[in-house]
Amino acid sequence: MPTIEDLHSGLGRGPHRGTASVVAVTTKASSAGIVNTVSTPGVRRAFTPRKKKKPWKSWLLFLLFAGPNVALLIVFTYKPLLQSLYYSTLQWNLGSAAAIPVGLGNYVSWFTDPGTSRVVTVTLIFTVATVGGGMVIGLLFAVLLNRKLHGRGAARTIVVAPYVLSGVAVGLLWLFVFDPNFGITAALLDAIGVASPPWYNDPHWALVMVIIVYLWKNVGYVALIYLAALQSVPRDLLEAASLDGASPMRAFRNIVLPLLGPTTFFLSITTLLSSLQSFDIIQAMTKGGPLEGTTTMMYQIYQEGFQAGRAGYSSAVATILFAVLLVVTLIQMKYVEKRVHY
Amino acid sequence: MTATPTFTINRRQILKLAAVFGATATLAACSGPSLGAGAGAAEAGLTDWTGITPAKEITWWSNHPGTSKLIEEEIIRQFQAENPEITVNLVTAGANYDEVAQKFQAASGTNSVPDLVLASDVWWFRYMINGQILPIDDLAKHLEFDTADFNTTLYDDYTFTGNHWAVPYARSTPLFYYNKSVWAAAGLPDRAPKTWAEFDEWAPKILAVGGVTPLGLGKGTSWAAWWFCNMLWGQGGAYSDEWTMTLDTPEAIAAADYLQSLIYDRKVAAVAAVDQVADFGAGLTGCIMGSTGSLTGILKAAAFEVGTGFLPEGPKGPACPTGGTGVAIAADRTPEQQLAAGMFLKFLTNSENTAYFSSNTGYMPVRTSARDGETMATVYAEFPQFRTAVDQLETTRSQDWGRVFVPNADKELTTALEKIMLQQTAPAEAFAVASTAIATSFDENVSAYL
Repeated sequence: MPTIEDLHSGLGRGPHRGTASVVAVTTKASSAGIVNTVSTPGVRRAFTPRKKKKPWKSWLLFLLFAGPNVALLIVFTYKPLLQSLYYSTLQWNLGSAAAIPVGLGNYVSWFTDPGTSRVVTVTLIFTVATVGGGMVIGLLFAVLLNRKLHGRGAARTIVVAPYVLSGVAVGLLWLFVFDPNFGITAALLDAIGVASPPWYNDPHWALVMVIIVYLWKNVGYVALIYLAALQSVPRDLLEAASLDGASPMRAFRNIVLPLLGPTTFFLSITTLLSSLQSFDIIQAMTKGGPLEGTTTMMYQIYQEGFQAGRAGYSSAVATILFAVLLVVTLIQMKYVEKRVHY
Repeated sequence: MTATPTFTINRRQILKLAAVFGATATLAACSGPSLGAGAGAAEAGLTDWTGITPAKEITWWSNHPGTSKLIEEEIIRQFQAENPEITVNLVTAGANYDEVAQKFQAASGTNSVPDLVLASDVWWFRYMINGQILPIDDLAKHLEFDTADFNTTLYDDYTFTGNHWAVPYARSTPLFYYNKSVWAAAGLPDRAPKTWAEFDEWAPKILAVGGVTPLGLGKGTSWAAWWFCNMLWGQGGAYSDEWTMTLDTPEAIAAADYLQSLIYDRKVAAVAAVDQVADFGAGLTGCIMGSTGSLTGILKAAAFEVGTGFLPEGPKGPACPTGGTGVAIAADRTPEQQLAAGMFLKFLTNSENTAYFSSNTGYMPVRTSARDGETMATVYAEFPQFRTAVDQLETTRSQDWGRVFVPNADKELTTALEKIMLQQTAPAEAFAVASTAIATSFDENVSAYL
């Protein structure tokens, strides 16, 4: 019978899997509940000390439920992961039947490459801006949409809609919006007497541009999750606070925000993962340019692997990114999660 | 939230994980490339083609350059009518040359390798050092494939170690496009400037027209470092001499200085934000260097009359690079399949089909006989602009190895040119960074396989 610990070790494999892993954990928790009721009549026994031997039947059931899932994970996640780790020690031109082992050579190349600091900086700025900005703006939208306003349903739909659109389509559309000659932004800025910034010819503005588009597309997701959480905040707490004379701001800060803690924690992990893995908007809008000003680590992996055909080097960058994600997620789970109120 | 995770991991769990990882590691080690240096290009002339029966079915991976899917299908239909025993499957393997190349490389070692694949100027060499394609010469001789009729520059683009590794198919070059209304308003003769020096004289007159930037420039990979060949070679410079980068020569620096002065000193050129062709079509720029492949599109989109001409000459004479794609035969197929692929390749690029493809897409007629044939004569009569592109072929030259044969070289050169054009970086500084990176990439990714 799966214990809470089993579930946690399940969560431990989450870091590189994004949203799906968290969802998977939730499903497993519920399927564990089913296992309980099927195998043993007393629910209480689910919490018996771990030293007691578990009946072999429940192990079999566990395997039956978890087995296919684990097998898929091994074939499609762990095996490629380890293969990628192995390829990162090779000089291997994609498509070639032969490769030369270079040990840690690819890692040394990456860490000593003069362009690496730029890629890391771009990745950091993009991630902090999209995760931080996304959470703040998303929460703001959620709070607004949680109020009783006219046309609230329509507004909710509008906020969430971009999230379900294809990233490439979004990128192509915004390409026109930002065009300094024909675009809407140029026209609007012109109306207030400001010249359009060189969105496409300046690496810094280009980064700002892809961040804006990324936020526009993904803020709806954050807003949606926060909205759901806001609606589960007990009204009596807020009423009691207001009776005690707390201002709405104060009530929000001291009651709502702490209660949103678990949601914030969940969002911080999922948005971080999707931000670090984002590719479509950059590919559609800037292709990593100009001057590689929008080349994030994820985009570098693609460029090195599929455009330069340096499969080994690309795998090395992928491994580094994976290690970073793993560490960041572990830190989040170990420290941030402890300060979350449930 | 459903679960209340507290992250703990004990010794037993670590052991379990290790066991899982260990087991998978064994699995993982079973696949992938074999190790060892020197396993490069396929050996030439090992197959004795006499006595081999062509395969019944072959596959061709294309991205249908110039929206040519229907044209390619028609050629296949005619081939099958002539050779009923062979079926050719046309597969859309991507939207551009890069996507086709990515799939071809990823398919390596599997049984889904095609028999024929498009091999663009920047990709065929990598296919070759990866041992993925077959040298053509021997098979062409056996099939009495008339390769002497190919435009020499275009066919010799695919030469290395004395063999040809592909045949020319959808080939293009850059071309000079100008806005005839702007030219008239500026009081200029109705032709492209013969030299960049002449353009320098004309540019102030175009500026005086007002609202128009005389010259539009394009940035981005697969593009900037291609048209810059014109300025670079025109000054007597080059990206490289075989594998040695030569961007530190006074000629190369002079070319970049000239480019920079157009933008910053004389302010007669601007770098397009997104699409230089669209900007030209909208009348924002007076002239551009564009691909011959854009000809049909530009003629359709522009509200004004479009003139074409040779790329302006530099102090050292005319300079125009070739571009586009050829077709190669995969090495990892049976001789029967390769023979059938060779037969189709011969048919695809015969004089008649070359003219048919060229007249319907706007790509260069790659055969001399097709260039001078009747079909093309009709096209020149209707679109005299097209004739310019064909005439310019005489002045073209194959690209420098330092751009097209080294992984990431085009990206490094593009970054250098973007620094020069967008940030006014000193050419010597920008070129030095690119040269070092390309030399390193050559050592790491190419030299071991030659």
